[in-house]
Amino acid sequence: MNKTNEKREDAKMGDERQLFQDLSDAVVAMDEDRVVELARTVIENKIDVYEAIEKGLSHGMERAGQLFEEEEYFVPELLVCSDAMYAGLDLLRPYLTQSAEGSKRKVVIGVIEGDTHDIGKNLVKIMLETGGFDLHDLGRDVPPARFVQKAREVEADIIAISTLMTTTMDGMAEVVKLLEKERLRDRVKVIVGGGPISQGFAARIGADGYAANAGAAVNLARSLIDGDRAHAR
Amino acid sequence: METGHMHDKMTPVERLEAYARGGAIDRLPCVPIVGNTAARIIGVKVSELRNNGRLLAEAQVASYRLFGYDNIRVFTDLYVLAEAMGASVTVPDDETAYLGAPAIDDVARIRQLEPADPASDGCLPEHLEATRIAVREVGLEVPVTTALTGPFTNASFLIGAEEIARLVYKEPAAVHALCSVSLEAAVRYAEAIIDAGATPSLTDPMSSSTVISPVLFRRFSLPYLKRLIDHIHASGKKVTLHICGKTNRIWRDMVDAGADCISIDNRIDLADAVREVGDRVRLMGNVDPTEIMLEGSPADVRRAVRACVTKAGQAQKGYVVASGCSLPTETPFANIHAMLDAVREIGFPVAKGRFQERG
Repeated sequence: MNKTNEKREDAKMGDERQLFQDLSDAVVAMDEDRVVELARTVIENKIDVYEAIEKGLSHGMERAGQLFEEEEYFVPELLVCSDAMYAGLDLLRPYLTQSAEGSKRKVVIGVIEGDTHDIGKNLVKIMLETGGFDLHDLGRDVPPARFVQKAREVEADIIAISTLMTTTMDGMAEVVKLLEKERLRDRVKVIVGGGPISQGFAARIGADGYAANAGAAVNLARSLIDGDRAHAR
Repeated sequence: METGHMHDKMTPVERLEAYARGGAIDRLPCVPIVGNTAARIIGVKVSELRNNGRLLAEAQVASYRLFGYDNIRVFTDLYVLAEAMGASVTVPDDETAYLGAPAIDDVARIRQLEPADPASDGCLPEHLEATRIAVREVGLEVPVTTALTGPFTNASFLIGAEEIARLVYKEPAAVHALCSVSLEAAVRYAEAIIDAGATPSLTDPMSSSTVISPVLFRRFSLPYLKRLIDHIHASGKKVTLHICGKTNRIWRDMVDAGADCISIDNRIDLADAVREVGDRVRLMGNVDPTEIMLEGSPADVRRAVRACVTKAGQAQKGYVVASGCSLPTETPFANIHAMLDAVREIGFPVAKGRFQERG
């Protein structure tokens, strides 16, 4: 490669880095139109789509999650950031090769039976997807047996259960019991969260972990999976 | 004869009047916020209370008589006002009702929404009937209040919580329209509650900083809350405003909205609240409704009450020992008794150092 070409390569890489940064910034700024415009630029210039998602869209969403944990962003901001991110993803995903999407860890998520408050669940879902997990969303008002059935069907690594109502907390314990009964407990981690839930409650029902918010849920899920790997070794 | 509870020397009305004057009282006011736990006291199913004013009053009055706390609150769930405007509510047989579906699913339909008529829509007539009966039976000895959901929270039930969270950025005018119609409904219901001889008790969970930022609270919730509170004040009633979750960054706004008492949950530090707004407003709450009241022992409750009184017992505008939110239905009676007993033991004046909770 001659000097001119090298320079051109450097410049191209610089442009790409800038484009990823712009994508990330547009997600944080809740600017869906800008995200769409930048995603089109990625496609037109045949830039690595996987990188654009990782270093652009997901990066921005992780920053939004960080701002959420720092109480700079709140539920509306996180949701509108995620709308911008998903608008970009919808454009870029068709250009992804299969292998890039393979081997993701699977999470079955839902709001337990007796409750329809699903904002918290949706935020956790968004952040877990951003964090590279493959999500199976059962929605809200989900009977305990449905979590277990779905986890078996998709060979889930994690079941994530949410509630805002104390009346439904027993249902969370029921999921753990059903997993034990069906001899799936050692294969599936259970994480819980929501308004009335605490670390103490999670321990009492035999769940593997509790997260106070959507950002913490990602760290929890990762540490459980990594812990498992370390254990397997 | 207005005797109040057998273990107390004053009735709640006497106690609260004296406390407000700065006079002598037998103990601090105490309100374990009993909601559907009242069904357990008269042995009926939770769903039976919701649309039966006579039974709802019977349960709430029986609960007051059993425990001897300082405020009756007619409440079954947060959705009665939104339901009266078209939202659908799911009513399990023996658990608290929850929102099934919002009233509308499209901003284009906001124009079709009308403020509820308290005399005819949904469960409102029965909640008003419960209010009248409770006032008639025990209104001379204990303040009777009726729960009223704040305009922004009610607006979120009309179109869906997640939808309104997006609309605050994507279509702010639609949110204002939803809040306006909710305010109108809230004002009408507040008037009907006052006509029934009670005081509206405001609850506004979606205004919490656990959900929306202080900036959005000031834009979409505070102006409507203020107008609602002004309206209630015009009838000479004092207003308690409850917002759950994190509220430390909006305490001053809650006071500016006109609240006479702010009811706060356990996810904040009560000592901070005393420092920041304790000189301007009465404080209430902070005992954890789930970990302490539902799952703890009477000894845990006693410890929690003492810790709260240690922090807020000397607050300038007063403190009401209370749970941080409505009690879960299955809260053990022993824990509710323990809350009152702990307050009776502490007595009044709250002598600093005499009972202080260490560690």
